[in-house]
Amino acid sequence: MNTQTSLNFRTNAAAAIKDSSLRKAMRNATETFGSKRTVAMASIDFEVLREKASAIRMEVINNLPAYIEKFTSNATAAGAIVHRAVDAKSANQIIAGILKDHDVKMVAKGKSMVSEETHLNAHLEEEGFEVVETDLGEYIIQLEGETPSHIIVPAIHKNRQQIGKLFHERLGMEYSEDPQALTKFARKVLREKFLTADAGISGANFAIAESGSLVLFTNEGNGRMVTSVPPLHIAILSVEKILPSLDELPTFMRLLPRSATGQMLTSYVSILTGNRKEGDVTGAQELHVVLLDNGRLEILKGDCREILKCIRCGACMNVCPVYRTVGGHSYGWTYPGPMGIILTTLLTGMANSYSLVDASTLCGACNDACPVKVPLKEMILKQRVRRVKEGYSSTAVSLGMGLFGMAIKHPLMFSTGETLASKFWSVMRTVGGENVAGRLPSPAKIPFSRRMS
Amino acid sequence: MSVNDANVALFMENAAKVAAGLHQIAGKDELQGKLAEIVEQDVDVFCPKQTELEKFAAGFLDHLIPQYREAWVTVEEVTAAIAETGSIVCTSANGKAVQASLIPSHHVALVPREKIFATLDDFFVEYGVSPSTNMTIITGPSRTADIELNLVIGVHGPEKLDIIIV
Amino acid sequence: MYVQLFGTCLVDSFFPEVGEATVQIFNKFGVDFTFPKEQTCCGQPAFNAGYLSESRDAAEHFINTFSGTDMIVTPSGSCAAMVKHHYPELFQDNPQMLEAARKVGERVYELSQFLVNVLYVHEAALTGSGSVTYHSSCHLTRTLGAVQEPQLLISAIKGMEFRPMPDATRCCGFGGVFMAKLPEISMAIADDKAESIIATGADIVTGCDCGCLMNISDALKKRGSAVKVKHIAELVAEAL
Repeated sequence: MNTQTSLNFRTNAAAAIKDSSLRKAMRNATETFGSKRTVAMASIDFEVLREKASAIRMEVINNLPAYIEKFTSNATAAGAIVHRAVDAKSANQIIAGILKDHDVKMVAKGKSMVSEETHLNAHLEEEGFEVVETDLGEYIIQLEGETPSHIIVPAIHKNRQQIGKLFHERLGMEYSEDPQALTKFARKVLREKFLTADAGISGANFAIAESGSLVLFTNEGNGRMVTSVPPLHIAILSVEKILPSLDELPTFMRLLPRSATGQMLTSYVSILTGNRKEGDVTGAQELHVVLLDNGRLEILKGDCREILKCIRCGACMNVCPVYRTVGGHSYGWTYPGPMGIILTTLLTGMANSYSLVDASTLCGACNDACPVKVPLKEMILKQRVRRVKEGYSSTAVSLGMGLFGMAIKHPLMFSTGETLASKFWSVMRTVGGENVAGRLPSPAKIPFSRRMS
Repeated sequence: MSVNDANVALFMENAAKVAAGLHQIAGKDELQGKLAEIVEQDVDVFCPKQTELEKFAAGFLDHLIPQYREAWVTVEEVTAAIAETGSIVCTSANGKAVQASLIPSHHVALVPREKIFATLDDFFVEYGVSPSTNMTIITGPSRTADIELNLVIGVHGPEKLDIIIV
Repeated sequence: MYVQLFGTCLVDSFFPEVGEATVQIFNKFGVDFTFPKEQTCCGQPAFNAGYLSESRDAAEHFINTFSGTDMIVTPSGSCAAMVKHHYPELFQDNPQMLEAARKVGERVYELSQFLVNVLYVHEAALTGSGSVTYHSSCHLTRTLGAVQEPQLLISAIKGMEFRPMPDATRCCGFGGVFMAKLPEISMAIADDKAESIIATGADIVTGCDCGCLMNISDALKKRGSAVKVKHIAELVAEAL
């Protein structure tokens, strides 16, 4: 079980709503993602492709243990050392252990959401290793001491002024708000890290069972750097991110970048198969692959197992009206937006997450956007049902629902309720509050049904 | 139009969309002129000199240095290209250093016409069976949109990519 | 043809004029309809909050109230979606109720679907003035697929200018229980929708769901906007 102090979504969100620079950043992001995605999707048949992608992912999920075995066997044959980590603690310890064995001082790190989930950086730093995030967005938030607020663009909640100030204060760069100048400065600073790091740690978008390969979709080049320059490369990914063979990869090459950033394809797709072999001058001397469970095999047994199809594109949060308004930090854990509601609830437990399942208007835009057809809206509803069953619904709501349920079956009780509400509306307003009852019009003196008799 | 010509045309169209510099030459005799046009003067150049085409190209390059780490520009023949996405492919087969297309600031990729695949599927039919240790599909120069979703070309990988179809 | 009118609880309590406008349209087009007296609520609030037992009670009551073979017409996309799509989900373990739910669902029409696909109201003589923009509510658009019908009705009103808003299908932030559970977020989302509406310069905003329109109305009021909010039933009734 992932430990997490209980998060209060409403409190988190209320603070976010008042943050005008965050609102502006989220607006800019949503508009940009929206228009780019529309353009990108015009060049493929999205419905046909995502049906295909969904089927491929379900095939893997329905046979997951076999695919994990197959990947492990083939990756090992290619020269990788594969580790199974049952939970976050285990993964962190395995990785720290590998670094210790190799006398590593400094690690250059590529982006990995799973490493955020396990709090890998914090553990490694505690163990005395220097960890440098090399993805520009991750680097920015590492400097700031924050967590990512989006799974693709981690620093999306920050504007150029904030980043300019950060680079000026923390890196001694002459103040500039120009994204070009800031990026070029980061290139210079991080180049030295790539070329001298003792080890590289990366995530992976997919693991290919048949060839034992890892696949990374990146744009900046840092992913390529950390996986091929240092002598030691450790990749961490969660167990469900498997595709059967490289023949299935094109479908995801067509869907993932378009869904994530509106690009036809990322600048780089790296397919890494094992470590450096006889005759190679490319590849890490030693490659370790850490396959993380951390609750996924448990999800496999339940009625929301389709969430394991998720390919971490971020499309669902980009179209979510709630995410757009409050940003990623309000969700209180690693993954925000619709997929975040489901994963957080399933992986950290209902006791922690019960307020999070309210974070949806059930508009269904996420279902429409998902490139692997995860039924996100239906799963959020399932978690709400579960919340009631497990007793995490508030007493007031349960009482209200009980009364409501009775009134629905008894028209006389229903119309009496309407009459009372109308008569005592000023009281209802006070009880209900300005923000809820205050937004409703006063009830009609004569309800429609009475006009129909 | 032959299949190959169609592939080349589609490749050029798609590679242009991702900020790659695109050049086509009719034959090897035009290579010298084209390299003179694209490769910067007075910078250190790396050329692997492993394939026939590379050895030929090297004859026209000044300031050659033996390793890619200090080079400003790499001039090399790539393994393949893919028309569907406007991508070039570098692999580690035959002792090729894939980092040569990563570390220097400028990457000049020589693509023989007949090595352009129409689709991703076609590419993987041939190269997906026993992939080499590193296979990197490159689509344009490095980039990021991490700051306000503002696109910046040239981050940690090459800032400039030129493709010469031979 | 015979129709049973399902007013919905929101119309009953807060927007009876929408019900009256619906009746006005029915009368104009000679629709023989009844208003089953025992009707209350489709049960959506309970369903969306995860209260399956109460949802089933509501569904059972609805199925019993609207017995027969007449078409069932309702001026609410979300209620129509609830009956058509979610009632069967509630009775997966009860074959008899499942069959009853399916049969009822087949008879249900959201108002604009009925007006266009059954009555061809969009081909009748409708006149109006001013300009109108349209909010395409979530269940109506995504669950029922009623994308064209409301727009056909609006476009059919001669003398009224239709000004589509960008992001017409983006949620208004009502979300049923959501507006009560997370009112701050609901209001912020509604404010974005109000901004889109105001930007069109239209005199009127219309839609097919009172929940959405209520939320939008509040947001427009908070912005001091004079844009009028009318349900599609009212828009069409006034154009007759």
